[in-house]
Parts: sequence; C-alpha cells; structure tokens
Amino acid sequence: MVIDSQPRQALLRRFTGLARSTPGRLTVIAVVLVLAALASGWLTTWSVNRQERALEDLATRSEPLSHAAQEVHRALQDADATAASAFLSGGLEPAQLRERYEADIAQAQAALSVATASSPDLTATLAAQLPVYTGLIETARTNNRQGFPVGAAYLREASGLMRTQLLPAARELYRAETDRVARAQDEADFPVVPVLVALAFVVALVLTQRYLTRKTNRLLNVGLLVATGAAALSLLWVTTVSVLVMRDVGDSRTASEKVDVLAQARIATLTARGEETLTLVARGAGQTYEKNFVEVSQRLEDLLEHAKRLEGGEAVDSAVRNFGEWQQVHQRVREADDSGQYADAVALVATPYFDSLDEDLVRAIGQARQDFSDEVAVARASLAGTAVGVLVLAVIAAAGAVMGLWQRLKEYR
Amino acid sequence: MRRLALAAVLLLGACSAGPAPSQVVPRSAPVPQPAGASTVSAAPSSPGAAAPACDTTASLRPGPLPPAGQMPGGSAMARIQQRGRLIAGVDQNSYLMGFRNSFTGEIEGFDVDVARQIAKAVFGDEKKVQFKVVTAAERIPVLRSGEVDVVVRTMTITCERLRDVDFSQVYYQAGQRVLVRRNSGITGVDGLKDRSVCVASGSTSLVNVVNRARTTVSVPNWTDCLVMLQQGQTDAISTDDTILAGLAAQDPYTEVVGERFTDESYGVGIPKGQEDLVRFVNGVLERMRADGTWNGMYRRWLTTLGPAPTPPAGRYRD
Repeated sequence: MVIDSQPRQALLRRFTGLARSTPGRLTVIAVVLVLAALASGWLTTWSVNRQERALEDLATRSEPLSHAAQEVHRALQDADATAASAFLSGGLEPAQLRERYEADIAQAQAALSVATASSPDLTATLAAQLPVYTGLIETARTNNRQGFPVGAAYLREASGLMRTQLLPAARELYRAETDRVARAQDEADFPVVPVLVALAFVVALVLTQRYLTRKTNRLLNVGLLVATGAAALSLLWVTTVSVLVMRDVGDSRTASEKVDVLAQARIATLTARGEETLTLVARGAGQTYEKNFVEVSQRLEDLLEHAKRLEGGEAVDSAVRNFGEWQQVHQRVREADDSGQYADAVALVATPYFDSLDEDLVRAIGQARQDFSDEVAVARASLAGTAVGVLVLAVIAAAGAVMGLWQRLKEYR
Repeated sequence: MRRLALAAVLLLGACSAGPAPSQVVPRSAPVPQPAGASTVSAAPSSPGAAAPACDTTASLRPGPLPPAGQMPGGSAMARIQQRGRLIAGVDQNSYLMGFRNSFTGEIEGFDVDVARQIAKAVFGDEKKVQFKVVTAAERIPVLRSGEVDVVVRTMTITCERLRDVDFSQVYYQAGQRVLVRRNSGITGVDGLKDRSVCVASGSTSLVNVVNRARTTVSVPNWTDCLVMLQQGQTDAISTDDTILAGLAAQDPYTEVVGERFTDESYGVGIPKGQEDLVRFVNGVLERMRADGTWNGMYRRWLTTLGPAPTPPAGRYRD
C-alpha cells in the first residue's frame, strides 16, 4: 500500500495535534505505561527463568557430572595403586585387592559413561585407553602367575600409560566439569538489569501520578495507585528473592570449593599410596617414587589444612589425624626397608591408616556435596512462583495504568 | 499447474543432497610402550678420552679366608660385619640371574646366590644380605656413592668401568647373542642390519650392537625389551646369553640365535679403594669353584644354556 504525500502530512498533523492536547498526551502515556509494564514483566520473568534453569542445571547436571568426572579420576588412580599392591603381596594376589581393582575399573567405566554427556572428546580419549590399560594389567597377571619377571615389566608399562595418558585426561575432564559448575553459578547470580528496569517502571508510574495531580487537581488516582502498588510489589519480590538466591549461590560456591579441595585431597591420598607401594615394588630402585610420595604428601597436607579452614567438621579432623598417623607409619616403613627389613616394611605398609583416611575423605565429600545440594534446593525453592507472580503483577500494573488514565480521558469527552 | 509444482518439488528433491551419512571414527589406537623407552642413534661417548687397553680379567690374588664372623679389624669386611648385613646391588628383572620369585616375593637367581655366598663367608649366614635393586645404568653410580658393598648383576668387566670401580675375578663367562621371535628369519647378529633391536640402557650390549642394527631402542630393564618384542615393537633383543636364556624361558615363541659374538666376563663390582674386599671376594669365588658350589648353582639356574662348563679359572695380577 502506498500513501501519497497529501494524506500522510494530514495524518502527521493529526498525531502531533493530539500529542499536544492533554487527552492525546494521556493516551500516549497510557500506551507507554502498558508497554513498559509488559516489557519489565517479561524481562524479569525471563531472567528469573534463566536463574531457575541455571539452578536446575547445577542440581541435576553440572554437579553430578563434575562428581562423575571426579569419580573417573579417583577410580583410575585407585585401580593403579591397587594393581601395584596386589603385585607387591607376592604369591596369589589377595582376593580383596583383586575385587577392589575390578570395582575401580567398573566404577571408572560407569562414571565415564555419565561424563560422556558433556565432554565427548575427553571421555573418548579415556574410553580408548582404558581397555588398553586393563589388557596390560591382565598380561602382567598372567605372566606373574607363571613366575615370570616380565609380568613386572607389563605392570610398569601399564602404570606408565596410566600416569602419562589416562590420569592427565581424567584431570582435564574434572577441570572442565568444575568450570561448568562455576559458570552455572555465575548465571544464577543477581539480575541487575531486570531489577533496574522494574525500578524505572515504578518511578515512571509515580511521575505519571504527579503529572495527573498537577493537570487535574485530584490527589489520587485509584487505577494508577493499583499499578504502582503492583509494580513496587514486583520489584520488592524480585529483589528479595534475588538477594536470597545470591546468598545461597554464594554458600553453594563455598560448598563446591570444599568438595573440590576434598576431592583433590582424596586423589592425592591415592597417589601417595601408589607411590608408597611402588617404592617397595622397586626394591631399592624406588628413589623417584619416594620423592613423589614426599611431594604428594606435602600437597595433601596443604589440602587438608585448606579443607579445615573451610569449616571442615568432624570428618576432616579425623582425616588430619589419620594422615599424621600414616606419615609416621611411612617413616617406619622407610626405616625398615632402608635397613634391609623388607618383609617388615611390606607388613607395615598394610596398616589401616590409609584406608581410614580415605573413608574420612569420602564422608567429608559426602557432607560437602549435601551442603551444596541443600543450598541449591533452598535457592530453587525461593525462586518458586516468582516468574508467574511477576507476570501477573505486570498485567495488573498494565491494567491499572490503563484504567487510571481511561478515567481521566473520559472527562475530556 | 498443480502437476507442474509437484514435478518441480520432485525434481528439487532429487537434486538437493542430504548431509553425508555420519561415520564413527575411532581415535588412533593407542600403542603403549615401556616407560623410559628411547631410540639410540650412537653409542654413548664416555667423558674424556677412551680408556686405554688393560687386562680386564686379572684381579687381586686372595689370601686365606678369615673364618666367618671373625673379619680382621679395620677391614672393609669388618665394617660389613659390624653393620650386620651385606648390601648387594642386584637385578630383579633378569630371570635366572637375578629376579623376583613372584610366589614368595624373594629375589633369587645365579647372581643372587653369588651375593649370598659372600654374605655366608662374612657372617656364616647367607641370609644376612640386603638386596638393593639397581638398573644396568645405576650399577656404577651406586658403587661410587658407596650405597652398596658389592654389585652382582651380570656386570661385564671393562677397562672403562675399571677406571671407576674395582672388580673381582671373573665368576662367569658369558657372550652376547641375539633373541628373536621363532621363524623370524634372523639367524644371528648380521641379520639385524635392516631390523630394530632392543637393549637396556647403560649396558655393554648397547655399545656392541648400536652400529650393527637399523634402529636401536633402549629401555631401563631387560624384561622391558621382552615386552617390546611381544608387542611387536622390536625385531630382536641382543645381550648376554645368560640374560637371553632367562627371557627365552618366559616366552616359548622366542629363540636365541647365532653364535656368541663378544666375550662378557662377569665380575663382582666393588667400590674403588677396597683392596681387602676384592681379595676377600676372590677368595670366596675360589672356594666356590673348589668345593662344587659353583657347579651346583649353575645346575640350579642355568642348565637351559647347556651342561655346566668348567668355571672360569682365576687370573691374578697380584
């Protein structure tokens, strides 16, 4: 459709004329207020939805995936340490160690298939290498069973593959997943723009009220009052909920930091255990393993210290105690081995402090994860109904504005 | 009109290509190698000038052996006696010579028995010995640092090594040969020209074959070489027949081929400057030869190499 210049100018004149007249202005204001109410409502609802999605993602995806990645790493590390221990024991491998190794491999595979959902590339590397690793371990066992020293060579090769390929990939996977948790936490943070827009809308309603009071000498306009009330309520609601959510998300960050620190401590525990065992397997040629043990133990001590600072609780205290005991036993193991009492050293290494430490850490991780889950659940609960409520309030505000202005417009008829 | 549209749609449908069917592409299949495997291109050059020619097999003449438990005061043996145990550097990866019995967890073998005989001569008890496992490359360093009293680990006496450590007289005469997969077509060291060979780093075997094979791979332990041979990453292993016999015994699909192409005289490595200990160990070796202990040890461990030869005779430079 084409409008020729004559009617178009006429149309323009009519509009400007209308806008200059008071009823015209009122109409324009009504339209703007309705649009503003709906825009602010929509924006807030959208942002609340985004927060809800982020929180849901935290509870149902990122955190479970990050836990799965951590399990992959832990299970692999433990499988390697257990395989070395089984070898050390001499004779037929103890059934309990064999079961532990098998459980570790099964656990690694199960956790891997969970983690595939978010990091297909990293998990593909692990999925390709894991059967190679288990194959080498089985070859080592077969040779060992026939009394052939080449079994030990296969064990070393398997361990080398684990250390140079599988564990670094597992570490990378874990980092990727924890980053995802941090990103979801960022998305659940305070919605600055929607709150500002809602605030601006309230201000606009108040200004309109003042304008009407000046023009019509009437103190109050019920429609606009309702609109202002609805808008203010909406603003208050969103701000309060956001502050609550922000606090919960902040607490969940502390919880996930704690989980991270404890998970690293657990992995360090297993690494140190592996090094301790391999030092004995190497029979005097294990200086590098012992050096690694000392390094990892230092890191483990720092991590436990860190966990304690994050209000560790009973499990962490117990872990610190067991760590101390273990280090003392390790000193005695080294003394026995260095003075030629190899059998004594092997017997000493089987003391239960390592297992107790590991159990403490499992308990502490469980508690920290529960804290995290609780915080996220509280945040989700405070958001419940907000989206719908804000939308309803926006419609009320829009209706109120129209009604209020319509009342005044009628007086000009 | 409608018919035309239908034709057009059909035509377009025929021409527009869908995406190519997806493929499942495997990652490159990972091929694990023993930790520390590396390719060697030339024999490691010794620092300083090459060792001058020397008489490797002549050692110090032993005096009469002191009775066990009564080592002469101030001697190296007295120090060992005071400590309560002999510290011996051995291998736990060379089947038959020095290896870990996977059932008992104990270290056993021909070399290990030699170390036990020395302990027996000092204490009257062959159990008073602490074994320290050393790799081929670590033998000289542990002797120089004094971490061990003796090294009994298929150690060939060479002029170069004699500059850093002392040796007893020869207690076993070995020679380098080649281990291959059965039916590989390689019949001796000359067959390695266009093949790859695996050796342990820091061994004399490495120096002997590095220029006779297309590629040489070095690994920390001899069993790592067997892993590479079983995984198809090397065509052959070349070292002393004693070690090869131990490897062949672990894999019936391998065989030792060719004649000995070197002479490897094994001696007990002893830190420099302990003349009394060298003479003492030589005395122990003399006694082992005389009373049949040596033959008994050979029969216990090395019969796969053939019937027991005459033990190497003692040669002394006094």
